[in-house]
Amino acid sequence: MEKIDIKIEKVIDKVKNLYGNSADVNSRIIEIKKTKIGILFLESSSQTSTISDFIVKSAVYTEKSKNIFENLFNTLKNKLFNCQLFTIDNFEEFPYYLSSGFTIIIVDGNDKAIIMETRANLDRGVTEATSEPIIRGSKDSFTESHSKNLGLIRKRIKDPNLWFEEMKIGRRTKTRVSIAYINNIADKNKIKQIKKRLNKIDIDGILDSGNIRDYLTDQKSIFPQIKSSERPDMACQELLNGKIIILVENCPFILIMPTVFLDYIRSPEDQNQKSINITFTRILRFFALIITILTPAIYIAIVTYDQNTIPDKLLISLAVQREGVPFPTFFEIILFMTVFEILRESDLKSPTNMSTAMSIVGALVLGQAAVDASIVSPITIIIVAITSICSLIFQDSDFINGIRFWRFLFIIASSLLGVVGILSMALIWITKMASLKNLNTSFLSPIAPFDKDANKDAIIKSATPNIIKRPNYISKLNPFKQGGKR
Amino acid sequence: MKKNFLIIIILCFALCGCADYAELNKLSIVTAIGIDKSEDEYEVTLLIANSPKAETSSKEGEAKTTVYQGKGKSIAEAVKIIDKKTPKQLYFSHINVVVISEEIGKEGFLNIADWLIRHPQTRNRFHLMQVNNNKAGDVLKIISPLESFPSQSIATLIESNKNSRSVGDTASYSNFIGRVLEKGYEPTMPTIKINGSIEEGSMQENLETTKPKTYLSLGPLAIYKNDKLIGTTTKKQTESIYIINNEAKELTYEIKYKNNIINIFSNTIRTKIKLKNENTADIYVKAKGTIYEANGNINLNSIKEIENIEKTWNKTIKKDLNNLIKEIKENYQSDIFGFGNMIYKNYPKKWEKIKNNWNEKHFKKFNIKVHAETQIISTASLTKTLKDDDK
Repeated sequence: MEKIDIKIEKVIDKVKNLYGNSADVNSRIIEIKKTKIGILFLESSSQTSTISDFIVKSAVYTEKSKNIFENLFNTLKNKLFNCQLFTIDNFEEFPYYLSSGFTIIIVDGNDKAIIMETRANLDRGVTEATSEPIIRGSKDSFTESHSKNLGLIRKRIKDPNLWFEEMKIGRRTKTRVSIAYINNIADKNKIKQIKKRLNKIDIDGILDSGNIRDYLTDQKSIFPQIKSSERPDMACQELLNGKIIILVENCPFILIMPTVFLDYIRSPEDQNQKSINITFTRILRFFALIITILTPAIYIAIVTYDQNTIPDKLLISLAVQREGVPFPTFFEIILFMTVFEILRESDLKSPTNMSTAMSIVGALVLGQAAVDASIVSPITIIIVAITSICSLIFQDSDFINGIRFWRFLFIIASSLLGVVGILSMALIWITKMASLKNLNTSFLSPIAPFDKDANKDAIIKSATPNIIKRPNYISKLNPFKQGGKR
Repeated sequence: MKKNFLIIIILCFALCGCADYAELNKLSIVTAIGIDKSEDEYEVTLLIANSPKAETSSKEGEAKTTVYQGKGKSIAEAVKIIDKKTPKQLYFSHINVVVISEEIGKEGFLNIADWLIRHPQTRNRFHLMQVNNNKAGDVLKIISPLESFPSQSIATLIESNKNSRSVGDTASYSNFIGRVLEKGYEPTMPTIKINGSIEEGSMQENLETTKPKTYLSLGPLAIYKNDKLIGTTTKKQTESIYIINNEAKELTYEIKYKNNIINIFSNTIRTKIKLKNENTADIYVKAKGTIYEANGNINLNSIKEIENIEKTWNKTIKKDLNNLIKEIKENYQSDIFGFGNMIYKNYPKKWEKIKNNWNEKHFKKFNIKVHAETQIISTASLTKTLKDDDK
């Protein structure tokens, strides 16, 4: 701890030196009855109008009152028109507050400083969720402002048991990271583990919640084990189920822990629609998952190894389509899968006014012309199209990429061993998924360690009045959602 | 954990015995086989459904097939000769139809069946047909205007007739072999006919005329004893065989009533065969029908008249079946209905005594009684005949 110098000129000089005389470091010295008051702020991160409105005005007002000479510091502290105001006596904390948009007021002869919030509004407002759009449900999404994000959750859950635990991570960025949970629902052990892991992080900077994701899991897996979302309603839904949410400053994406496989099959919309329809939709999504992982592999397997499983007419039509194509089926599929992945990647990265050109090139040139030139057979294009359309059902891009990875493994296995290859790769896949565990929660719960109550809202969704208990695998505390004991 | 993974991966590679990689366009897909016998050699005809070029084949009506022929002392040898002629690898798992000639049937089907079963690629769900008076290879050459390639047209012919004109399961190969091997049950085989000249039928022009000069049609059943052909029935007899075998699904029955011809359509014919004792069996036929055509002065409104028609129909069925059974017993001496099999199942001791000359001696003495129960449900859209007197 470094004490604050009594001489304000010295302090101001010290701060300016600390910032390397950066242009945005501003200071002002006001003299009231021969006592100097120093005001320090960063022009870039604080709102100058607030400073001039309140601090300077208040300082001048204090001049009029009497008895201020006895303790100017205390008078200032009590009379400033601001609700976020406190004192510090550690000089080392200065840079953090200055960069966060606070104004520091120091009084000559005092070794304490008054800190006042004068933050500039550098955030965008609450807008519609762009990465997880839904039809039926609330439209707002998290933003880059940490306090706004907390507010979006707080306004939905008015229970005081909703706790936010804040810590600052990052040697240089000093990013605020909040762990949110409902105190008498969430599993204490899990919170403890998360805190332990977060405390271990010692890195230069955390700019996004994606940066800390890797610290929170210890098993390596292509499938993401921590779901991220930008929807406050989703966050609250999960909080009420007993999950723990991590909010990172300057990042509109929160992390939800623990995440299980089925969370990717579910959508935030699911709670707002009729349960029977949702059951159907979830089965559809599950089906799409299997299609998108297995279709190319199965195609390769039956076309190159087990032709006898195809009905006669289809086989002959496939054979006719393959006629004149110079590459083996495996290469054809890999080639076009890669082309599609490149197309998707470039579409994501390009500005919107260029995507029209991209789709024309993609659809017409690659699709039509490649078939006409018999570089690929039409059925390959159909297979690639089905596969990619099905993969786009899922919203989480990490999940889509996980699917892609396993799809390529399946393709390789099936091109080496046919159907046997697919079966053995499926075995490996399921084994791998079942062995994944994070925060003592198995990745395949509630299916793999089967839980009857949790399965009321797993793939099949019962009507909301019938789901009485919270999923057991998340937290065993306070199991009743409705009815029963509170 | 990692060890387990390794073991699984090693196992996958070790267990892949039947990995048989082949690109689709390197295969010639055989869809039909025709087997003839000329002098001492088998003549095998393979119908290969592959098109030389994708662009031309997608045009409508284009023949997509090629026929290759080879001769050899055995089927395998003949196929080997064909394999040398075709540029691509022969692929047998999509055989739809196997056509055999009369000579093969007379000589015994089991002589050629071994190759068909033993070949690793063949499946045993194809249709087995016999062609009389023609060469089996010629059947495969006929191009049909409604189906893209000949084997398909034969298969479709059988499959569509399965429901409407009652070609039963007897058409499938596994059924045939099953009946050859079963005790006291002799097989039958459907026949196919070429109508018109073969030369014209195999030409592309056959597709371009509105009235095809050559076409294929189903003939009556051929009756086998063990695996050998003994004779071919008539169309009428074929229908009766299907009724007894409970394979008739749709039938139109023509009966004579008061010098008029009445056509009854029936789509519910149920037949049950019950063994009364060691020497007697009852055949119960239940038929429901609709009058489809009735000319002449018949009052279809009266219940009595309908009852009389029912009685006549009943008699006709009984007469037909009895005639058929008599004919089979005396002329063919081949138990195609499986009465011997029923005795074997119910009275195994008795079967031991008679099994050696069941077909020749005991089948003749076996009593078969036919019971028929007929019912006319409706008279279709007309309640009266057009020539009805009381208008």
